[in-house]
Amino acid sequence: MLLSAILSLLLLSPVPEVQKDQPAPVVRQAQHLPECNPERSEGSDTLKAARVSSTAGSLIVPQRIESHELRSVTSISEAVRRFAGVQLRDYGGIGGLKTVNVRSLGSEHTGVFIDGIQIDNAQNMQVDLGRFGLEDIRSVSLFSGQKVSPLQSAKEYSSASALYLESAEPVFKDGSRNNTIVSLGAGSFGTWSPRLSLEHLFKDGKSLRIGCEAVATAGKYRFHVSDYRLYPDGTVAGYDTTMIRRNGDLRSARFDARLYSSPDSRSSWNLHAHFYDSERGLPGPVYKREGGYPLSEDRQSDLDAFLQGRLSLRLSDVWSFAARSKLSFSHLEYVDVPELRPELPAAHFNYLNHSAYLSAAAMARLGNHLRLNFAQDLQYDYLDADLMDFAYPGRLSSWSCASAMYGLRTVELSATMLFLDVHDTFLSGGERSSARRNVLMPSFVARWKPSERFSVDGFVKRSYRMPTFNDLYYTTVGSKTLDPEDAFQTDLGARWTALSGSGHTLQFNADIYRNILKNKIIAVPTSNQFRWSMYNIGKVSVLGADLVADYAFREGRLALGGTARYTYQSARDMTEGRGQIPYIPLHSGSANLFGEAGGWRMDVTIFMTGERYTTSANLPAYRIAPWQTIDAALSKSLSSRGHDYSFKLCLRNILDEQYEIVDNYPMPGFNFLLKVEATL
Amino acid sequence: MIKRALLVFSMAVLAIAAGCTKDETTSRDADLAGVNVAVGEKIGPFGKLFVLNEGNFQKNNSTLDFLRFSDGNYVSDAVGSMNPAVVQGLGDTGNDLCLFAGRLWAAMNGSGVVQVVDANDETLLASVPVPDPRYLAFSGINVFVSSYAGAVYGGEETKGKVYRISLDTFKTDAEVEVGCQPEGLAVSAGTLFVANSGGYNYVHENTVSVIDLTTFKVTRTVPVASNLRLMVPDDNGGVWVSSYGESTWTQDAGGNWIQSMSEPMGLYHVTSSFAVQQAKDVHVSCMTKCDDGYIYTIGNAAELTGGYDNTLYKVSAKDGSVVSKSLSGTDASAVGNPYGICVNPKNGDIYIADADYTGPGKVWCFTKDLQKKWVAVAGMLPAHMVLF
Repeated sequence: MLLSAILSLLLLSPVPEVQKDQPAPVVRQAQHLPECNPERSEGSDTLKAARVSSTAGSLIVPQRIESHELRSVTSISEAVRRFAGVQLRDYGGIGGLKTVNVRSLGSEHTGVFIDGIQIDNAQNMQVDLGRFGLEDIRSVSLFSGQKVSPLQSAKEYSSASALYLESAEPVFKDGSRNNTIVSLGAGSFGTWSPRLSLEHLFKDGKSLRIGCEAVATAGKYRFHVSDYRLYPDGTVAGYDTTMIRRNGDLRSARFDARLYSSPDSRSSWNLHAHFYDSERGLPGPVYKREGGYPLSEDRQSDLDAFLQGRLSLRLSDVWSFAARSKLSFSHLEYVDVPELRPELPAAHFNYLNHSAYLSAAAMARLGNHLRLNFAQDLQYDYLDADLMDFAYPGRLSSWSCASAMYGLRTVELSATMLFLDVHDTFLSGGERSSARRNVLMPSFVARWKPSERFSVDGFVKRSYRMPTFNDLYYTTVGSKTLDPEDAFQTDLGARWTALSGSGHTLQFNADIYRNILKNKIIAVPTSNQFRWSMYNIGKVSVLGADLVADYAFREGRLALGGTARYTYQSARDMTEGRGQIPYIPLHSGSANLFGEAGGWRMDVTIFMTGERYTTSANLPAYRIAPWQTIDAALSKSLSSRGHDYSFKLCLRNILDEQYEIVDNYPMPGFNFLLKVEATL
Repeated sequence: MIKRALLVFSMAVLAIAAGCTKDETTSRDADLAGVNVAVGEKIGPFGKLFVLNEGNFQKNNSTLDFLRFSDGNYVSDAVGSMNPAVVQGLGDTGNDLCLFAGRLWAAMNGSGVVQVVDANDETLLASVPVPDPRYLAFSGINVFVSSYAGAVYGGEETKGKVYRISLDTFKTDAEVEVGCQPEGLAVSAGTLFVANSGGYNYVHENTVSVIDLTTFKVTRTVPVASNLRLMVPDDNGGVWVSSYGESTWTQDAGGNWIQSMSEPMGLYHVTSSFAVQQAKDVHVSCMTKCDDGYIYTIGNAAELTGGYDNTLYKVSAKDGSVVSKSLSGTDASAVGNPYGICVNPKNGDIYIADADYTGPGKVWCFTKDLQKKWVAVAGMLPAHMVLF
């Protein structure tokens, strides 16, 4: 991407004028040079932020949802589930775990990055998207495959796919140095979420945002349990009963402080401190409980904190440099309540994750056609837990990466070699033992762009995900012999801008891909089948297609448009006699329609998921019915006496569809959230 | 006279007709077609082989299947089909299945209930709430259920209980505290024996609790072996009890980690005088007591070295003599994960429940020489079988 920008700037035609808020950032990214080009103001919402974006200049264009469309959602997971090729795993309710699975490879293969630095969890590699706020976020981007952009860290090459959350820098009105933003959300399930955000512009151009948000919800909702059977004589019999989801309450507090360097210099940096504290009920799956048998009263509390920073420098016309670092800590406490014996004390399990990360990346621009990127990342993880015979695992990981990007006229190529070396130490039988795993991850990306309106791209990538601490060392279940999961991806895609100009834009994206997942880590019985253990035995073959059509019409303050996304995924368990893997529908899709006029915006979004199975034996007994939901959102922004006000009303599942994404975890029916915000 | 003769005759006809009608309607489940897996045959008094699929933990997918011998059809989820209006069906995690006086008793561990099902037509007759039910045993007038009694893993050491259910009222009418996490239990000559596993404890239990049935009190606690599990009576006032064994991780010369058993999943005899003896080289993954006076188990003969050699053991309940035969080299080598066993006392057929870890399991039928007769696709984790 960057190369194309350079090429188009230096060799080829002049850069065409960029449409404001054009969804596909094809040319706009040309301005986002990592060397910190002088600012160019484009959309009203992205004023200063144009300079260092960790998703800018990627050779593969991501799927992206930006600020306008983000106005119609209330959480990151709601935005992510719109992407093609994505299955959001949602356990229901505001406190329910939400993870993302891209192209059927499993959520552990998707890296989640905030401002280019990965959110990590060596214990189980699950990132709960429900924990991160939407307010600071400018865009959500999904790279279904290889992200190749300048000054990328080595870790950014390593996951099979990557979800990028980009924060927005503060925007100040003329002459103003301070913003105070207050908002209050209220909605179904007894949900309240007040938020206060303070922004300050320093005299030297640095800017600071401090945001605090609290969320409290009672989390109760009604759901249906029903089952009907058809008999050979044509009769139908069954039941349909209403139950109430309990113990889904959540209280959380989130604090973020972000400091951004002044914009117009040859270096740029930012610092981000994050703190999240929560306490929630775990309602567990819904299953038969007889005669007063109590529901789950288990609880979970989390404390997550990290401090991360990023610095990029342009050293010369040839060399530029970036450094990233992160320190993080998390404490998870799981409380197993003996519901049947209230007089007994609960069992408490504490897990403490410590992590330190350091990355250095250097890029050399050799002539107009070639760029080389080198990166070295190091990370240390340590898990402490108060379990009997715990292994206290520590892991030192090293990612070493060399990447070359070459561009000539209409063709751009990129080749990357990444070496990951992981050294674990753990306690076993009273002694500290060690284990070493290393893998090579090559990837190759190519793009042919014969015109500004049309391009074809593709990639081949081999990536591995290391076994987690839970896979390896969990008392009695963990297996110390595991190999990394092996994901091999090939993809071919085309982007076509069919209409551009006189206010209309119409774009089509199509990707077909084939993924092979080997050595998939699965829990199976051991020689003693009452002790289950983890084994590398799964093999999955995925043939998929993602199709996206996007239309928008803009004239003045009027805008109309829509996006349709369709996903086909034939994800076969290669074990004999097996079919589609659990929870992956053959067909799924979403469609979003919007209209904007005079500060108002209206969105209607439809989600459709075809039939799925809870096991890869695709028998009728294990089928999960297809489901469709419709969400609608109405928002309004206005300015009065120098202050900005906005409100939004999000109506979710307006048809009150009763459905489950995860078997026996019912999703809420119709619900809403109302949010008012004032910038003072 | 003629009138009287006619009356007697017509009554006789009516009685025969009623009898015939009754015969034809005893099985309301005759309409459940199922999948044909075997040639129909008449096997002694048995009409059906019931299979309880444990289902996945907290997935509410435990089901009761049966194979109908007369037509060789395998019927899945018969309780669900015969009781469609029962909310959430049989329930979660069926842990044991027994037949007593024409009724099936299923201990539903996750749902906290013992389900009572008519063995003739799979109608749900009663649901008896019992916390954490594990295994079942019978005396003449009572059902006994072992229970973890609300203990949580990692919590305080919590004693389990045995609940007594009255066959008249379908209600629990007494309970007695035993060791931690009690599993199998058996009534032998008027005495109830209970295997204590202590599976949630850091150091497992190693005892059998002995309960006097008249007072329903623990009279004795017999040390046997660590982590006890399945139990059957020995026809002599004692019991046979198996162990879950103990596992360990070791590193071989190449530095690879191997999981193996440090204590075998062995079989122990507790006599009526409470003497304890281990059956030599018997390994127990699953176990059944057959009316032919033998105990049949399948276990991994190579478990102590981390290897894999599933073996069938035939143990005399009386004298403990053992005959063993490896499944490898027979048709039964196709069994992946033997999870339950049942033996037909009339023809020696061996039924093996074969659990899969990611999908539905299978039920195999072999002759006593381990030649395959049929195989059927069962539900999730088929484990417990009874002949009716």
